[in-house]
Amino acid sequence: MNYEGKPHAVKDKTYVLVWVGLILLTGVTVSVAGMNLGRLGIIVALVIAAFKSGLVLSYFMHLKYEKGLLIFKLMIPGIIVILILFIGLTFFDVAFR
Amino acid sequence: MEPHKDYTGSKIGMWLFLLSEILLFGGLFLLYSTYRFKFSSDFHHAAGELDRIVGTLNTLILLTSSLTMALSISSMRKGDRRLSAIFTGATFFLGFIFLLNKYFEWAGKLHHGIYPNSPLLLERSKGEVLFYGLYYAMTGLHGLHVLVGLGLLFFLFIFVMRKRITETNFVFLENSGLYWHLVDIIWIFLFPLFYLIT
Repeated sequence: MNYEGKPHAVKDKTYVLVWVGLILLTGVTVSVAGMNLGRLGIIVALVIAAFKSGLVLSYFMHLKYEKGLLIFKLMIPGIIVILILFIGLTFFDVAFR
Repeated sequence: MEPHKDYTGSKIGMWLFLLSEILLFGGLFLLYSTYRFKFSSDFHHAAGELDRIVGTLNTLILLTSSLTMALSISSMRKGDRRLSAIFTGATFFLGFIFLLNKYFEWAGKLHHGIYPNSPLLLERSKGEVLFYGLYYAMTGLHGLHVLVGLGLLFFLFIFVMRKRITETNFVFLENSGLYWHLVDIIWIFLFPLFYLIT
């Protein structure tokens, strides 16, 4: 048997609740886009997108329930840090041209 | 002799692949961020030409497909093969509608003469040319990923029906789920960056 017991049985109700949250957040994103927030607009949109992705990663992709193996929970924050570095450090150049 | 199966290793392998996919799209997002910073008003103007309603609809479709994918896996966990197959089919259907919408969007733009290197597009300002280049490249690459996902889902459906995927052996289903959720996450970022530029 290659499947280790039944450690994480996520209730279907949890999935549906997460989905409702994602739909609502999509609504918020679209509404905020209608308001004129200038520079703040993209920050809000990206923050909401990040939060939505967090929900998908934690619940749909099970990261919240991957017990014991730290590697699962470190990979994603790790790659995010790398991307932020890529884009952030590039802007140290681009923003001052 | 029984083949060696490693459930955890299999999932780690899939996550590593997903990380490489994130870097693949990450490079394009880097390009996007630089050019949007440089040509912000052009980007704003060009983004206004995209259909926000179709974009929002596609977002909702993909989010729902992630739900059906998760439910397919949880059904299989409980041993309900039939329900799992139904949810897999539903995910496929939603993914297909997403691509159909994308087809209509692109067809509309092509009809108006807006495509990479088109004479009409080249007459426009640099920023707009870049916006559309990124639009086609990123939604195109994403669309390809959705198409591959549909292929996966097709095989999943067959494997579930033929009992190659069972209650105790469903790592292929789980890994395909991980792939599909990542494709959803990428779109979660693509949507505001292309359709909702204020």
